Amino acid sequence: MRLTIKALGWTIILLWIFTLALPVSVAFSLMKLAEGRNLGIQEPTFMLSNGNISISMPIYVNNTGFYDISEAGVKIRIGKADKTIVTLYRDLPNIPAGQMVNTSCILTASLMEIFQKDCTLLTEDANLNVNAALHFRVAYAIAFNVAQNFSTRWGAPFHNLTYILAYDGATHTFSFSISFNNHAFFPLSGPFEIRLYNSSNYEIGKTSLYLDVPSGEFFQETVDVAVDPLGVTNRVLIRMFFADLHVLETEWILP
Amino acid sequence: MSELEPKPDRRRFSFRVARAFLITAAYAVFWLIIWFLTSTLLASFPEYQKLFSVIALGLLFFTFAIALAEGTIYKYILKIIRAFFLIAYLTYATNSGVLKVSFENLVFTVEFVPLLALIIVINLLEIAKGLLQAIEFAAHSPKD
Repeated sequence: MRLTIKALGWTIILLWIFTLALPVSVAFSLMKLAEGRNLGIQEPTFMLSNGNISISMPIYVNNTGFYDISEAGVKIRIGKADKTIVTLYRDLPNIPAGQMVNTSCILTASLMEIFQKDCTLLTEDANLNVNAALHFRVAYAIAFNVAQNFSTRWGAPFHNLTYILAYDGATHTFSFSISFNNHAFFPLSGPFEIRLYNSSNYEIGKTSLYLDVPSGEFFQETVDVAVDPLGVTNRVLIRMFFADLHVLETEWILP
Repeated sequence: MSELEPKPDRRRFSFRVARAFLITAAYAVFWLIIWFLTSTLLASFPEYQKLFSVIALGLLFFTFAIALAEGTIYKYILKIIRAFFLIAYLTYATNSGVLKVSFENLVFTVEFVPLLALIIVINLLEIAKGLLQAIEFAAHSPKD
């Protein structure tokens, strides 16, 4: 029994040494990594293609520490008030000890999904809450997570969307004078559609135009919508769409 | 108390208490040094002062009690209780191995569940060792 007790005693001592040495060496490892130019994040670039917005950040890490870095990832959560609009996540490659890794962190989100979550972002500027987090594990044992909260201004692509409507009973034509400011950081290009419905929710006419509005520009145009004279009622429902997104829904009563 | 039992040796008991005080004082100095080294660095952790006081005072109490119970089976029982105390304390104080600190808009989280699991294993081994030592002590103690 004495031998067992001695063996247990030595095992406990060795495990305590390992347990206490690990966090200390991990701290030294991180300090070595932080010093000099071992870590760098270059200026992020924003791209817009096929209705997707992409943020690309070139990253380089020279792991001069003692341990491998694993489970590295970047997570960005964008929300409005308490509602999450989009969550972006990107895994980064493992960085073995003593090696240098050059990679690019690309986060992609579908604008369609964002606007479907909150359609008011199409027409109203807003303050968005951003939570950006970096996660990584050192020595496959201790994980670190650094998260920062900040707010950013969202510019609506159809800011201050207004229309002046006139109905010509003789030609059964609705004339729309549409105007808005593209406050978004990206240009607007795509089909814009106006659909008119009667009080029975029956489509009585529609028209479309192709938008190509650069970022920060003002847009104004007049379009005519010819309607089915038999279907016109006193109350007309106007629905506006951009691509497949519902931009505006409003009611108009014939004078 | 039976008449056949020897009267308690007050001098020997006083010596034992003094020895336990000295050992505890030495440990107290050690905990004071740890406090000076960590208080500025870890002050931002929530309830750090309270948690540090609990572990320091708890372990100082066990140091004193174990030193006082030297040569009795209570020494091993106290060691087993100390191991249980450490398991419970470390699990609670470290929020099950996930610590979170906030600096204005920045939230820093450290997750060390594998390390905490290892500490729990060490303390379970300590309990096993204490049990074996208590059994061995009882086996070698003269019977009434």
